[in-house]
Amino acid sequence: MIGRARHLQEQRLYDCYYAARTGEAIDPRAAEHLADCAACGARYAELLRFLDALRAEGDAESDDLFTAERLQAQQQQIARRIEHVGHPARVISFPAQLVRRGISSTTAPTAPRWIAAAAAAGLFVGVALGASYEWDWHNQDARTVLSGDANARLSPIATRGSGLDDVAADDAFLSELELALDRPRTRELIAYDALTPHVRSVRDQR
Amino acid sequence: MSGELRPAHDVARGLEREAAPVGGVGSAPSTRRGSAAALSQDSRLAIEIRGLVESGRDDEARDRFGELVAMHQHRASRIAYQYLRDAADADEAVQDAFVKVFTHIGSYREAWPFEVWFTRILINGCLDRRKARSRRDRWTVGAEISSADEARVSAAGAPNDPEQRLLARERRARMAAAIDRLDGRQRLVFMLCHYGDCTPREVSAMTGLNESTVRVHLFRAARKLRGLLGGKP
Repeated sequence: MIGRARHLQEQRLYDCYYAARTGEAIDPRAAEHLADCAACGARYAELLRFLDALRAEGDAESDDLFTAERLQAQQQQIARRIEHVGHPARVISFPAQLVRRGISSTTAPTAPRWIAAAAAAGLFVGVALGASYEWDWHNQDARTVLSGDANARLSPIATRGSGLDDVAADDAFLSELELALDRPRTRELIAYDALTPHVRSVRDQR
Repeated sequence: MSGELRPAHDVARGLEREAAPVGGVGSAPSTRRGSAAALSQDSRLAIEIRGLVESGRDDEARDRFGELVAMHQHRASRIAYQYLRDAADADEAVQDAFVKVFTHIGSYREAWPFEVWFTRILINGCLDRRKARSRRDRWTVGAEISSADEARVSAAGAPNDPEQRLLARERRARMAAAIDRLDGRQRLVFMLCHYGDCTPREVSAMTGLNESTVRVHLFRAARKLRGLLGGKP
């Protein structure tokens, strides 16, 4: 028989273990081999020990956590949750006391109208006053700026002194400048300048 | 798709269980799974609840649903805890899964074993929570085991000897770390087969993976764990 000639592969051992655990049929040839072959039987027993211990440890841990009380509480929680399945959403009614108070107070609406009118008027007056004040303030600011500019422009003249003497001196200075500009600035051209009629002399002749 | 489950309508594939006797293999592992009759009992109950909901007898349906919850609650909590490693999270995941089952009981079909249908819903919820947690953990430092869980474990079945308790805690932390190092699909298959008592065929129906692929993932996961834990948990 093949099974006796060769030992069972490791995967076959695992298959045997899980088949036995879950109540499935174990391959008859593998089962026969395990019964006959001591080496494979020992390997299988070792595997069995490891996997059973792994399982037992995991079960012990979850059993410690999920005690009977906890499972009972879990069951109640599930029951509570499924109680709402299929029911339409609950509509919360508006508090009746508030509704009654709202309907019974018939004299109340006149007072709020006055309050609203007064508030509106106050607001209007406030805005108007605010706007006029701001306008005044801007104007005042503008005036201050203008006067400041004028002073700034006049101040250098004022420091130099004022009066008719100063004006005559300015005129003389300007006419000197004009004469200097009219005169030829290169010496070699002076002769030519003397021969050439000036615009000023022509204008004077007219 | 690491560990992703497929839509519910695909689950209806040949899932009739063939409850065969366990071969006479030396010391056979302890069979924790319920019998085929128990499985069909929960499926029948689910069908009955569906009928009650459809006929508008909601109160009666809720009462019957309590029985279904009691039947699967413990196993569901174990799977969810092994997957999430946080008791509060696992608790919420189980609750959400049951509420979802009740809300969508109309889409349950006789061809599907209830256990498979329910586990698929539960695992999908757990995967969503893991994703959400990994997003959250990018910004915050998460604890390996919450202090409340730790206190509860210490108070409950753990040994009284502090040294024993410490050793048990270290052992569990090592196991959890090793399981966490498994590839997404391997972890999913291992969780479902090892802690959820699902057969490779059922896992195949839940995940859409080929049955032989499931077996390979299971083998690789178990072998890797054995290597990581040095042959003993």
